[in-house]
Amino acid sequence: MSLTLKSRGVYLIGLLVAALALVAAGCGGDDGGEAPEALPSSSCTAIEYEGDGNPDYIVASDLPLQGASRTQTLQMNEAIRKVLTDREFKAGDYNIGFQACDDATAQAGKWDSGKCSQNANAYAANDKVIGVIGTFNSGCAAIMIPVLNQAPDGGIAMMSPANTYPCLTVNLPGGCDATEPDKYYPTGERNYARVAPADDYQGAAVAQYMKELGVTKLYVLNDKEAYGLGVATTTRKAAEHLGIEIAGFEAWDPKAASYESLFRKIEGTGADAVFLGGLIDENGAQVIKDKVAVLGPNDGDVKLFAPDGFTTQQTIDDAGPASAGMYMSVAGVPVDEFSGVAKEFADSFEADYLNGARIDPYAIYAAQGAQIVLDAIENSDGTRTDVIAKMFETEVTDGLLGSFSFNENGDPQDASGAVVGFTIYIATDKLETSKALSPDPEVVKAAGAA
Amino acid sequence: MKSVSELAGEVRSGGTGRTYAIVAALVVLAVIYPEIVESLQDLPLIGDFIPRTDSMVVMIVFTMMAVGLNVVVGYAGLLDLGYVAFYAAGAYTAGWLASGHFEQVSFEFLSTAPAGAPGIHISMWLVLIIAGVFTTIVGILIGLPTLRLRGDYLAIVTLGFGEIVPQFVRNGDSIGGFDLTNGTFGISPIDSMGVGDFVFRTESNRAELYYWTAVGLLLFTVFCCVRLQNSRLGRAWIAIREDETAAAAMGVPLMRTKTWSYAIGAFFGGVAGAFYASFKSGAFPADFFFNISVFLLCMVILGGIGSLWGVILGGMILGYLNIEGLATIGSKIQEGGLDFDPTKYQFGIYGIIIVTMMLFRPTGLIPERRHRIEMEEGVHDTPMYDVTHEGTLTDRDRGND
Amino acid sequence: MASALARLRASSVTDKIGLSLVGLLIFWLAVNFVKDPTEFVNVGLIGLTNGSIYGVVALGYTLVYGILQLINFAHGDVFALSGLFASTIIVSVLGLDTDSSVPVIVGGMLLTLVVVMSLFSIVNATIERVAYKPLRHAPRLAPLITAIGVSFIVQNVALAFYGVNFRSVPNFIPTSDVIDIGGITYTWKKLTAILIVVPLLLLLTWFVRTTRQGKAMRAVAQDREASAMMGIDVNRTISVTFMIAGALAGAAGIVYLLQFNMRYDTGFELGLIAFTAAVLGGIGNLTGAVLGAIIIGLIQAFNEGLTWLAPGSDWTRTIVFGILILILVFRPEGLLGERTPEGA
Repeated sequence: MSLTLKSRGVYLIGLLVAALALVAAGCGGDDGGEAPEALPSSSCTAIEYEGDGNPDYIVASDLPLQGASRTQTLQMNEAIRKVLTDREFKAGDYNIGFQACDDATAQAGKWDSGKCSQNANAYAANDKVIGVIGTFNSGCAAIMIPVLNQAPDGGIAMMSPANTYPCLTVNLPGGCDATEPDKYYPTGERNYARVAPADDYQGAAVAQYMKELGVTKLYVLNDKEAYGLGVATTTRKAAEHLGIEIAGFEAWDPKAASYESLFRKIEGTGADAVFLGGLIDENGAQVIKDKVAVLGPNDGDVKLFAPDGFTTQQTIDDAGPASAGMYMSVAGVPVDEFSGVAKEFADSFEADYLNGARIDPYAIYAAQGAQIVLDAIENSDGTRTDVIAKMFETEVTDGLLGSFSFNENGDPQDASGAVVGFTIYIATDKLETSKALSPDPEVVKAAGAA
Repeated sequence: MKSVSELAGEVRSGGTGRTYAIVAALVVLAVIYPEIVESLQDLPLIGDFIPRTDSMVVMIVFTMMAVGLNVVVGYAGLLDLGYVAFYAAGAYTAGWLASGHFEQVSFEFLSTAPAGAPGIHISMWLVLIIAGVFTTIVGILIGLPTLRLRGDYLAIVTLGFGEIVPQFVRNGDSIGGFDLTNGTFGISPIDSMGVGDFVFRTESNRAELYYWTAVGLLLFTVFCCVRLQNSRLGRAWIAIREDETAAAAMGVPLMRTKTWSYAIGAFFGGVAGAFYASFKSGAFPADFFFNISVFLLCMVILGGIGSLWGVILGGMILGYLNIEGLATIGSKIQEGGLDFDPTKYQFGIYGIIIVTMMLFRPTGLIPERRHRIEMEEGVHDTPMYDVTHEGTLTDRDRGND
Repeated sequence: MASALARLRASSVTDKIGLSLVGLLIFWLAVNFVKDPTEFVNVGLIGLTNGSIYGVVALGYTLVYGILQLINFAHGDVFALSGLFASTIIVSVLGLDTDSSVPVIVGGMLLTLVVVMSLFSIVNATIERVAYKPLRHAPRLAPLITAIGVSFIVQNVALAFYGVNFRSVPNFIPTSDVIDIGGITYTWKKLTAILIVVPLLLLLTWFVRTTRQGKAMRAVAQDREASAMMGIDVNRTISVTFMIAGALAGAAGIVYLLQFNMRYDTGFELGLIAFTAAVLGGIGNLTGAVLGAIIIGLIQAFNEGLTWLAPGSDWTRTIVFGILILILVFRPEGLLGERTPEGA
């Protein structure tokens, strides 16, 4: 019995080897053809192109399409598609195909470092990829930037609509490692820019609003994830700068059942505000409920603040009445206060792509990012190097996010409008605008520094 | 050449010539894979399912870890549910010794990093060895206090370590004020492999270079395992696995033998972890979670516990499903109009594989001879009987089998 | 007791290390108590409540281990699935809400308990029949590995039906205080947990101590073969054990759901904690499981809630699993387990 099995195995392997050898010999190297080679289908959609002929170049988006961020990232891709469709898949003389790539695994339910590396190398290896819109998570960007930076022909332009980790672009003394951000750019040339304001802006905005509301003693919690810890740290620093006492800085464990004892401890410190640096998906609703159970309602003695990881209707739905009165911030102007091109975009986007559902704030950032990349390609001579150069020369006037240009680090500068503004919402049964503000540059600086 | 013939003999399928041919054919196939992969991908029907060279690297890395785990689980019969701890140890060794993480010093030795760059930059080739040795030490440190425990207790202890290590790494940005692991943000970028100016990462055939390195590492691992299987140590493992009490009575030093299996299993995990960290250029606490341990265990079970060739097969199959297969299958299903995403239920699928295999083919796809005997006839003693606590909880099940 | 003393006298280095660790722990607790007694008691009450919930899950592990020497990994996931299922009954079928009247709430909860407990006792027994029974004579690790597989399957069933979002039920149990003495408070909501858990424990104890089936369980736990020879239907007894464990998981799911949010993977984490509790108390020992769970609950709460030299929530998981490792290394038979062939 076992003998026959084994001999069968031998023949199978032999056959396989023979077949493969035949294949290898038979069809070696058939390149040429008009259509560019697509990025791998295990990560990316097929090339989406609706123009004439074949696309000359590929623009890829790199976002986590599985797990917690999925609702946001799907909208972001739709927004990019809308920008491309509006331009008939053209950037000047060049035909542009689009591929939406996924940097998340189902296993992790969020971005995965292996996947980020794999995608980045796929972009670098495909000489038709001329621009990348992404990433969503700063940790993923930290892996991807150096790979794209060293890509053949001078690197690939990367435009993030969502990365908020400050040290990706600038060394804030004390706030970043000494080797940051240079370690992300091995060639010494920059290839990365972003339209999302970094954490130090959000921290400053939140802290300024706390000060305005009369907060004197703040307890900062974070979820120990890159995003949550980052925004918690900058908020703490900004608050310290504004003279708010920090009662404590600690993590909540998203896998824990309850946080009541944690809030008991906070109660003992006499803090009059709590900041939750993290995501609603990291068991945030339970944190909010336990906060209210121990420290009383959010409009009472102890206020509750949260960054844009919480700024979604889901927070209110999940936490129920406990969310009432909590403050949540998000970059940009309030969705219901869009005006000009942003309003036009949002209206037609909601009608054509979302069946009337509400646009997610990040979709606007993705669209702006796509426009910048396409403009840069249009103005370039078609080489990767020139696209990067043109991206950095971009000047947006009255665009989707207001007016701004990029500084040499790739961060927005000379900005007005949404790109530097923050909206603070207050939760009732829905998100209501409490205040729109632009953080004071002094406070922003303090938020980033040691 | 003597070793090769021994290797061939180990495949045990009659004539050594034939097995030699199979192994050689497989090796040749593996080596030329990057050259033929594009032609393969152009094939009708199956073309979309052919993994890219890039993915093959990851598959091989995980297979190598599975082979390492097989030394512990398969050879010595010690269930380890915290193998991810070794993976983490290896990855972070690479992070420490081949990146700008320790920016307070600047040390460079044969590495691909520019001279004078901050941080420790030791040649990745050396780092692979150092990571292996360091992880071996970690394995011994974990093993010494725990290996005297009974099988299922040992499984739980290793699971505990597997849970602690990621949290330790995550909180390790201020161990007494010292930034050991850079906490949540992880360590990146990690140096590329390479020699002098020949840096894998910046070469146009980067994936191929890493792939051949990975194949080399896997062959080395396989070679070690083949040699171990028939060594004195390998036979001692089998003895312990089948009847610990009798083995002890016959003079097999239990603790030392078990610790060796742990140490060797850990070594491969460490090397694979360091290699993978260099390949993807980073080590992050979020990479190391319990499911990875189960994923590796699933590879071992699918292929055949204790069966080297089986584990490689199981590792490549599951590695493929993980990195490309399920996504590709999913996109085919969705093209067919069905709204089902198999990647979402990845671990449910692995669970089904585990249960099905255990119930219907517990010896795996390519059974190992002795394991089949054990499964069919049972073992005399519960594996990993706790001799230091003779006459304790397990006495009752003696003689049940 | 005498043997314990004898062991102490002949204690090895490991035992001494273990004892000194316990000593340090007690010292730490004492200092914290002196510094802020109110806080200490409040936090302790939280730990006690959480611990009693863990205890119900831990009982499921310990029952099955006692009879099969199998760590039923899937137990935690059955618990989570039952909780999620209960949320469907409470929210969608019964429609309980904050403004429901008290008799409706009490009746609804009892009905939910009965439905969920009976359904999941069947689910659990089915799992045993399908996945574990064929492996009863296989090497010990086979069913353990199978249990891990079943755990993932059950978890993915929950994922398929309930998605990745957290579920909870409306706050229909008042969060007002039952007691409020000098700053020490305890809410009705927490009391509900105790009000469900304690009768369950009494019922279980009565069942195992006095009923025929309970005696059969104890007999099989001690010696399966001898029990069979004495005319006990071993298969039936094992099935009944799994049914009871499933019912306990169902009850725990409901109690947990009333207090906290849960989602498809809640059970895995809680299962590990509950298992740690069972090991801490002495696996196979019913009282030990509850005691261990309460200790774990207290340790978690004290670690997060106390101020003097507490590592804080960053380290809670490390501490819980560290305890697991220390216990297994220093005292594998647990707090109440005995080093005798009879075990439980």
